[in-house]
Amino acid sequence: MAHIHPPGLPVERGKIHEFANAILDEHPHYHDAEAAAAAGLPGVVAPPTFVMAAALHSDPDTKIAPELAALDTRYALHGAQEFTFERPLVAGDVLRAEPGEVKTYEKEGKRGGTMKFVEAETLYRDQHGDVVLRSRTTAIQTAGVVKDRAP
Amino acid sequence: MTGAIDWKALEVGEERRFEVPDVNRTHFVRYAGASGDFNPIHHDQTFAEKAGLPTVFGVGMWTAGVLSRIASEWFGPENVKRYSVRFATRLWPGDTIHCHGRIERVYEEKGVPHADLALTATNQKGETLIQGAASVRPWRGNQP
Repeated sequence: MAHIHPPGLPVERGKIHEFANAILDEHPHYHDAEAAAAAGLPGVVAPPTFVMAAALHSDPDTKIAPELAALDTRYALHGAQEFTFERPLVAGDVLRAEPGEVKTYEKEGKRGGTMKFVEAETLYRDQHGDVVLRSRTTAIQTAGVVKDRAP
Repeated sequence: MTGAIDWKALEVGEERRFEVPDVNRTHFVRYAGASGDFNPIHHDQTFAEKAGLPTVFGVGMWTAGVLSRIASEWFGPENVKRYSVRFATRLWPGDTIHCHGRIERVYEEKGVPHADLALTATNQKGETLIQGAASVRPWRGNQP
């Protein structure tokens, strides 16, 4: 896969539309710039979980915590996720992500042996340097495959 | 869809719910494209089997996105101040997602009305997929 990125993390109207459709959300403030403007918004709003897309389309300057990058994706689980907004994230914003506090700890699991937890915060600043939102990811590295029910 | 919200009239115990029946692999793939999360465990059968799983399972953040609709439809997406999720059981193709939200607390912060919601996504067997929470408030504070 090619990995070519524009500078920063541009929050684009078309990407918001695509992302909102993928999560089956038809709210007009995601899809219709006029409806967003009528609500006093400078552009269509990004869904609360949208920065997961921005994070994964990140530019080379964006650093995720090395503790997260080091996880083995075959045996890693996404445990928890939190987003806290200072203001709505809207189309036209250009974000810069910076890693915040990282905590790691271990617990004995019931099914997968020892589990290693990584809790990593990311700050997203806009083009003016102001914090728009904070994201906190909790990832769990298991010792082996976690058995689960078949469909 | 949301009309004008009377923030002062919100009451603990108010509820919203909806369901997504018969989840399929196309849902997962569409989210992979939209989010850029191409972890093959969510779309590649061969990879999933090699990891010891019967088939691919849903991206947790997809279900989290679907569940966020409770708060965004009810209060408007711009008014969601905080959204958090904790993942429990995995989501498999063929499952149905039941999303539910309930107002747990109404309060003011610096004179701005807020509400805290408890959110859950469960499958057709009643197992919890996600436990979530959201805090909502009018994003412009007390500005009209």
